[in-house]
Parts: sequence; structure tokens; C-alpha cells
Amino acid sequence: MAVLDAGAITQATAGNREARTAWGLTAPALLLMVLILLVPVVVAGVLSFTNYSLGNASFDWVGAENYERLFTRSTYEKMFIATFTYVVTVVPISVGLGLGAALLLHSLGRIGDIYKTIYFLPVMATLLAMAIAWEFMLHPTIGMVNRTLAMACGTWLEVVPFVANGCAGGFPLWLGDRDYAIWVVCFIGIWQGFGFNMVLYLAGLTAVHRELYHAAEMDGAKSAWERFRLVTWPALGPTTVFVVTISCIRAFQVFDTVEAFWPQGGGPNKSAYVMMFAIFEKGVQQNLIGMGSAITMLFLAFVMSLTLIQRWLVERKVHYG
Amino acid sequence: MADLQITSVTKRFGETPVLNGVTLDIADSEFVSLVGPSGCGKSTLLRVIAGLETPDSGAVSIGGANVTTTRAADRNLSMVFQSYALYPHLTVAENIAVPLRMRQLTHLQRMPLIGGLLPGARGHRQSIAAAVNAATEMLEIKSLLDRKPGQLSGGQRQRVALARALVRDPAAFLLDEPLSNLDAKLRVQTRAEIAELHRRLNATFIYVTHDQVEAMTMSDRIAVMMGGEILQCATPEVIYEDPDDIRVAEFIGSPKINILPIERVGHQLQIFGRPLEWRLPPGSPQIMQLGLRPEMVHLTKRTPRLRGRVAHVENLGAEVFAHVMVDDGAMRVTLRASPAEQSMLVLGAEVGLGFNTRAAMIFDADGKRLRKIETMVGTAVEVA
Repeated sequence: MAVLDAGAITQATAGNREARTAWGLTAPALLLMVLILLVPVVVAGVLSFTNYSLGNASFDWVGAENYERLFTRSTYEKMFIATFTYVVTVVPISVGLGLGAALLLHSLGRIGDIYKTIYFLPVMATLLAMAIAWEFMLHPTIGMVNRTLAMACGTWLEVVPFVANGCAGGFPLWLGDRDYAIWVVCFIGIWQGFGFNMVLYLAGLTAVHRELYHAAEMDGAKSAWERFRLVTWPALGPTTVFVVTISCIRAFQVFDTVEAFWPQGGGPNKSAYVMMFAIFEKGVQQNLIGMGSAITMLFLAFVMSLTLIQRWLVERKVHYG
Repeated sequence: MADLQITSVTKRFGETPVLNGVTLDIADSEFVSLVGPSGCGKSTLLRVIAGLETPDSGAVSIGGANVTTTRAADRNLSMVFQSYALYPHLTVAENIAVPLRMRQLTHLQRMPLIGGLLPGARGHRQSIAAAVNAATEMLEIKSLLDRKPGQLSGGQRQRVALARALVRDPAAFLLDEPLSNLDAKLRVQTRAEIAELHRRLNATFIYVTHDQVEAMTMSDRIAVMMGGEILQCATPEVIYEDPDDIRVAEFIGSPKINILPIERVGHQLQIFGRPLEWRLPPGSPQIMQLGLRPEMVHLTKRTPRLRGRVAHVENLGAEVFAHVMVDDGAMRVTLRASPAEQSMLVLGAEVGLGFNTRAAMIFDADGKRLRKIETMVGTAVEVA
């Protein structure tokens, strides 16, 4: 018995030692995560219930006042409308275009590489610099866009009401028009983002087993659409979940274009007042840290729920392997 | 079920010729194996028959109709792939149902939710379910219906792939090395099952394999392919006992056939300088090759035709294979002996070898069979 006990004790101490080593090895990563991720989030969470401003010695607790403003003031209503318009437009279109471009390029031979580079260029370019280029192109009078549109005047293209109106009363101001501003931002977002999705889809497509297409053909899948439904789309399931999640998070983060076009206010009549810009304006420009923190917490909640939905989808619906 | 004709089909991939004018007739409900070493074009030929590759020239017809330009989906053939090619996101039951769903249901009827409400869809769905049921029962995979391919073992996947092929009633079944991913034991078992399936369905089977044992045990006829041509297409017995070409003789049979050089000196044949009693017709070539199956060579003490030293002995229990170095160690002859004779087969021992002249095959220097000479010297075998 004594021997057995001694054995049990050595085993127990060995187990303890192993556990200690494990904690010791995890500690640096854990510490860093707490310091640079969790602590700032908690601090922001706490500050969102105050009226703190940077440089002030103290602050007052204001309770849920910041959040109340967030859901009652018309400025923030515009913020929500602009943000969701952007997300709901940019995500489906940039994912769809990315998939379409990837499928087309995948069926192409050597020339595909050239297109790959062309479509990927906007992803690599600095968005701030690109925004300035777009600003020139969209200039109401000297911009390339409106000049091109003006060439349609006097031709049969005038049957299109948009062209007819433009020729009669001038083409849109684009960046200065509250009906167009957010759509211009959306367009640039799609132009800039779909190349990235395309590359992810191209990677996904290389993993599709070629023999499955032959099996589908033998099984009677005649049209390209049937083969896509039977083989390609299910095989791209994991890629799609990832692409959609990444696109959503990137869409919520849109900031550069808005800041470059309208540094002073988020578009005409705040029509392009997206969330990230609101955080920047309140928290940095106006030094209303409390308000900025409240918007940040909301932003965090959106991104968090997106990630949770992704996890749920991955476990439930998508087939891996 | 239908017969198939392949007429002088050629195919090249870029500069590499893969099929050089292959002609093959397959009768209704026949089991034909395409066998050959890797790279001989057997899989390409199967894919040409399936319609997955277009031949550069030549024609393929099924049941008398020329289908050379018909796409694979319209040829009414079933195929089992080497990798099984099961749809990973579908359950076993759904996988097996795919060929029927694709052919019997319209686009709308295949849609989830609304599809089931459309007129006619119900009846189709029930008949599909019944067919899937019958196929799974035949292959004894009923318990796997709700699983995904990722949760199955190799043997189970192979059965699902077979079930997907035979859930329809196609003109012919094409099988592309379906057993090559299974372990040895399962391969033997599945081999018998596929042969039995063929007998039960009485369907046309075209079976591609590099394994001569599979070809020999399952087929009605074997087409031995090499370098993009069919060297010989005949029953397993003929292929083994009466090959047309030395490459066929060498490919079929394990251990490999012994090939020994023989030389004509005047009217006499000599093997390693020793005369053989055969008399040759005039005009027969100078250099020839003698093919001897290991079971045709035996140990003998009286007037041996060959002498040599035992180099290696393989005891398989029921039989013993011995490698004997002849011609001063320049050639190696394999012979089959009975376990009783093993005492004579000591490594390094000198033994005398004899062979049955009636079973010897003679080939010319290029490997073509010289049947005329065999009949005249009296070695030709009578094949049933």
C-alpha cells in the first residue's frame, strides 16, 4: 500500500508540475491578450458611461445617457442608415463579383494571370490616394465621369431618363449630392474590395476535386449551372463563409474614403456618416471620449455578432472536408 | 444494356500520342478488362468511351448508334472513378440519388421546398427513393444512408460509388481502377462481389485495371494494352496460354514468364549452345525467343535441357518458386516446384531443368509469336 501511495503522490506532483508548466507557457500570450485587447475594451466600456474628455482631471458618471443619445439623435440615425446601406450594398455585390470573376478566371488559361493582377491592383493600392484620384474623376465640371456622360448628349442614349435629365440640367455633383454620396462610397468600396474576395475564391476553387466535375457530367449534370450547384458551390462553402464574414467586418470598418472626401462632416447632410467616421469625429476630433466609446462598443457588438453567426454557420451548415 | 464498338480511335495530349488507333468490339452483357502498365492509355480509352475525352480520330458507338460527338451526360453510361468522386456535402442516400434526380426531375422539381409541391414531383421522388433503396440493399450499405462520405471507410465509399453507378439502368458500366485504393484483403472480397454483380445484372462492364489478377479473375475477355494500342483481346485462358506477343506473355502471369534466347544453326535449334531436338522449317529466323511459364519448367536428373545453380527460393506453402541461374549465371529461370521437391532446392546447388516442349512458345526477335514454326516443330498448345 505504501508503495502504491508513493506512486500516486509522485504521479500527482508530476501532474501539478505539468499543469504549472502549461500555465507558464501560456502566460505571455495570455498577458498580452489581456493587456492589448481585453483591458482597452473594458476601459472603453467603462468610459462609455461617462462624459470623460482627454486632458480632464476627472469625469462624471452619466449612466446610459451616451447610449440614449445614440438611439434618439437624428445624427446617429443617419449614421446607422449610412453604415447599413454601405454594408448591405457592398457585401453581396463584392462577394458576388469576386465569385464571378474567380469562376471566369479559373476557366481561363494564361491570360487569366493578367486579369488577376488587374483586379487585384485596387486591393494593393492605398485607399487614401485612390480616393483623391476618384475625387478628380468625380469632379462635377472637369471630372472624367461627367465629361464622359456629357458625350452621350445629342445621341440616341438620351432616351435614358438619367442622361436626358443630365443633359438638360447638368449631371450629378456626385460627392456633393446627398442622394449620390453614399452610393459613390459604396461603388469605391466594391471596386476596392472585390479583387480580394476573388483571390480567396480562386484559392478555394483550386481545392475542388476535378474528378467531381467528371462524375457530375456522368450523372447527367449538363448545364454549367447544374455543375456549379452540384459541385462548385458546396465545395466553396467554407470559403464563402470566410469571405462574407471578412467582407462584413471590412464594410463596417469603412473610413478612408469618407475621411478623404469629406474631412469635415461625413458627406452632404451626413449622408455618408459611417460608424468608423463617427467614432473618429466624436472621440478624436471633438474629444468626446464617452460618446466615442459608446459608438465603439456598439461597433464591437456588431462585429462580435457577425463572428458568432459565422461560427454557428460553420458548425451547422457548411461541409468541411 | 448494349454493345459497344470502338473503331480506330486515336488521341494525343499535345505532342504525346496516347492512343494509336484502338479498335475494340464489346458484346452486350460482356465483362471486358482493359489491362496494362501505367501510362499505356487504358484510362484514356475508358474516358473516350465515357465521353469525358474527345478522340482525335476514330469513332465510338453504343448499341449501334455513333456517339463520338455526343456529350458524356447523354451517352447513358455509368462510371465508377478511382477516387470514387462522391459529393462530399451530400449524404450517402443523396449521393446515390444524384444520377436519377439529374435525369428524372426538372430544374424546378429539384428546388428545395417548392420542388416537392409541383405536380408529378411526388411520384418521381418516390420512385427515386425506391431505386436508391434497391441499390443500397444490393450492396449492403443500408445502415450508411444518412452518413456523409467523410465519415466512411475506403471500402464503404467504394460501395457507395458502385451503388451510385448501378442505381440507373445504363447502357454499360465503366469502372476505372475501382479497387486500387483498397487494402489487399478487401480487394479480393470486392473482386468477387463485382464479378457476381455482373452476373446478376447481366450488364456490359468495361473495367480498367493495372492488376492482371483482377483482369484474369473477373473478365470474359481481357484487352492487354501497351503504348497506346491493344496488343491482344481474348479470353483470360487464351491470353495466358496463347499470347500473340511477347509483351502480353510477359505482362500476364505471376511469376513472370521465362524468356530464353534460342538460335538457329543450320536446320537445328540451339539453346545456350545445346541442341534442341526440334527440326526447323527452312527460312525461319536466325534469332528467336523461347517463352516458358514457370509451371512448365520442372526439375529433372535425367538428360536435363538446362543446367544451373539455385539462386533464390520462395516457399508459398502450396507451391515453391525457385530462381535458377543458367548459362553461367547470365540468365535467370523461374520454375514452380512442389513442396516435396524442396529438398533438392538448396541455395547454390546445381540442378537440371527440363520443360514440356508442347507448352513452349516461340517468338521472333521483335516479340511476335511464331505459331507457324511452333506447329511445325510440334510445340503448339491446343487451346480449348
